[in-house]
Amino acid sequence: MVTKIFEDIKKTLTGIDVSEASYGQRGYHLAVETPKGSLAGVAEFFERRSFYLADLCCVDYVDYLELVYFFNHHKTLCRVKVALKVEPEKPVAPTISHIYTMAHWYEREIHEFFGVYFEGHPNLTYLFLHDGIDHYPLRKQPTPVPEEDKKLLNSFRPEGEEDTFFVNLGPQHPSTHGVLRVVLKMDGEYILSAEPVLGYLHRMHEKMAENRSYVQFLPNPARIDYPGALLVNLVHVMTVEKLCGIEVPERAQYIRTITCELNRIASHLLWFGAFPADLGALTPFLYAFDDREHILDILEAITGSRLTYCYFRFGGLYNDIDDTFIEMTKRFVKRMRERFDIYERLVTGNVIFVNRAKDTGILEQGVVHKYGCSGPVIRSTGIPFDIRKTEPYAAYDKVDFEIPTGTLGDNMDRYNVRMTEMEMSLRIIEQAIAKLPSGPFKAEKVPKKLKPPKGDMYHAAESSRGEVGVYIVSDESDTPYRMRWRVPSFSNLMTFPALAQGTLIADAIATLGSYDIVVPEIDR
Amino acid sequence: MTETINNIADVIGWEAIRTVVGLVGVLVVVVLNALILTWAERKVSGHIQRRIGPKEVGPFGLLQPIADTVKLLAKELLTPQNVERPLYYLAPVIIFIPVLVSFVVIPFDARLQVKDINVGILVILAFSSLSVLSILIAGWGSNNKYSLIGSVRSIAQNIAYEIPLLLSLLSVVLMTNSLSLRDIVEAQKGGGWYVFFQPVAFLVFFIAGVAETNRTPFDLPEAESELVAGFHTEYSGMRFALFFLAEYTNVFILCAMTTTFFLGGYHGPFLPGIIWFFAKTYLLVFVILWFRWTFPRVRFDQLLNFSWKLLIPVSFLNLIITGGLLKL
Repeated sequence: MVTKIFEDIKKTLTGIDVSEASYGQRGYHLAVETPKGSLAGVAEFFERRSFYLADLCCVDYVDYLELVYFFNHHKTLCRVKVALKVEPEKPVAPTISHIYTMAHWYEREIHEFFGVYFEGHPNLTYLFLHDGIDHYPLRKQPTPVPEEDKKLLNSFRPEGEEDTFFVNLGPQHPSTHGVLRVVLKMDGEYILSAEPVLGYLHRMHEKMAENRSYVQFLPNPARIDYPGALLVNLVHVMTVEKLCGIEVPERAQYIRTITCELNRIASHLLWFGAFPADLGALTPFLYAFDDREHILDILEAITGSRLTYCYFRFGGLYNDIDDTFIEMTKRFVKRMRERFDIYERLVTGNVIFVNRAKDTGILEQGVVHKYGCSGPVIRSTGIPFDIRKTEPYAAYDKVDFEIPTGTLGDNMDRYNVRMTEMEMSLRIIEQAIAKLPSGPFKAEKVPKKLKPPKGDMYHAAESSRGEVGVYIVSDESDTPYRMRWRVPSFSNLMTFPALAQGTLIADAIATLGSYDIVVPEIDR
Repeated sequence: MTETINNIADVIGWEAIRTVVGLVGVLVVVVLNALILTWAERKVSGHIQRRIGPKEVGPFGLLQPIADTVKLLAKELLTPQNVERPLYYLAPVIIFIPVLVSFVVIPFDARLQVKDINVGILVILAFSSLSVLSILIAGWGSNNKYSLIGSVRSIAQNIAYEIPLLLSLLSVVLMTNSLSLRDIVEAQKGGGWYVFFQPVAFLVFFIAGVAETNRTPFDLPEAESELVAGFHTEYSGMRFALFFLAEYTNVFILCAMTTTFFLGGYHGPFLPGIIWFFAKTYLLVFVILWFRWTFPRVRFDQLLNFSWKLLIPVSFLNLIITGGLLKL
């Protein structure tokens, strides 16, 4: 696949620079450098081949700004980095939002953090920030925001639509799972258009990363995605390890797998409680939390915390697991198997539930690559895309598990995919415990002050919501030059306006619930 | 004492005294029922959800509703800005009137009924559909979009479910040839409960009744995951409590009606009639609570389809069959 794309790019696209990169060191197979004029051509080239836009970010190298586009394919692994250099003074770049829908938000994000103007973008307004900022926050040199740009707030009630019925769903609303706000333009109970308004939980983790050393940033990922704290903790740790070339002992890899899967079940259980609650059934919530409590007890015993874990260290773990942990985990696996029967009777088999979830919020397989969704959302459409399989990390290549997929991409499919995933996680835990090797749980001679060699690295892992990726640019200092977080909820939520359009408000809320969004992760 | 009462009765008439005493009795039942139901709802939901429920205030948490009432009474009555003040104030009061009137005709025991009106069914149905008026007033007067959607939903829902409710009752009326509630109960004497003769009508009536009282799975006017709290989003303190009081009383009335029409009312062996009546009623109340804590909510179009496409044709068919069989 990689060589074929490599040849294809050389053949069809002229005037661009393409080279093969070391996947092990960089995290991508091909590096493409394109001038501004060819960017749309490059994007179209990948769109035609059903590549999805994994990430779009910007790095400020002071002399120039570099826009970095990451493409990947859902079925065969081929990560491509496309770089575009723009001038630091009044930076202008062409938009690709007409080719990739997801670029809408990424470009708005870059515009407000770096001041890059995207020509042809239909709505280049603020995505996260309020109107009071004076300087572009992620620029290395202080760059003031021009006066006329400070007014670029998203207008809630457009002129000439004073008589239209708008409903502000959120930021305080029981079903937005946090402080997400969705502006709904309604016709009675029907939604004419839905627009998410983000930024109510924005804390700028990416800027924080630039101001602290790699070790100091360790607790932060848990605050980005709190229900799946270990899973994001892991991707940060792995990226830095790969960047520094640290080898992780076998035992640590297995323990990482076990704890991550426990955390994945806990995260899915949280969703399992919340989703029927969005449909009006409040009781499953209590059942799910009852089971989740057992996982929290297990993880508390080894990590010391119950929600925002910081257990993984560069080169291994914070401490080793003991027999009690294994005993507790085995007991939990046994218990959880029985609980699935109760869930089946209480929720899955409920006629009202099935009627509500079936045939609502249908996401079509043909368009998912334009959004870059991942995780259970994309698997529900029938694409078996799971980074644990395509780019195995930790000990996932040594255990046997299947990727559940749906067929239609509706809310019921997303529900079924997650329920099967929990069972798969139990299977992974059992196998990993059976195969658990003895040995050290920590790599030796990991320096206290990490100074990775110059270069960049993109590394992705499968969190409970989908592909969570970290892109680190290192300048040989002990703090990252730039750390970019690619979060799954962000790109999954982008499909919401399209899915909500024309549906009833109750269906839109069911769809939002089926995504399992985490607002701190979206806003970062 | 007796003389004084006789003297008063001479002036204003026995009927008036009976009505006053009856209304006071009704108020007592309403308040007691609401207290019991708030406790029962929390206890039932607790046990369904593998919790214990309230247990701190009084034995088994029995005094919890009283503590809640004190809290609600002590709360400041907030009036949000931009509400339609007369309507906003009026709605919680209006919702209570139809509820009280419906109680008048319910026979709690053979000799315990405020007034037996010969068109009792009509009185109950007419007044119970009035409660939707106050929901509309509350939703409109609150000047809140969620409230408005909730109240509009409520109206569509009430119109749709009033019809099967009435149609299913008509088959009972056909069997007794009377609209008086006491006659209907008396016709079921000796175990000839209408639930055995009219099982379809019973089911239709109970389902439509649950929808009329806005309980899960038909709680669309206050769907908290969609509309925050629906028509009473902007209400707090005692005004909010009045809405809840009315809801619990409506639940009680629905179950009392079902008992009267289908479960033989106060008839039953050994025990006094009033105990039978309340036992049957609270059994049905428990079923409604059970619904609430196990079912998700139906969608709006499903709700209307269910009534117009299933309940109404079925109850029509049932009515025709009943009429035909009675003629034979």
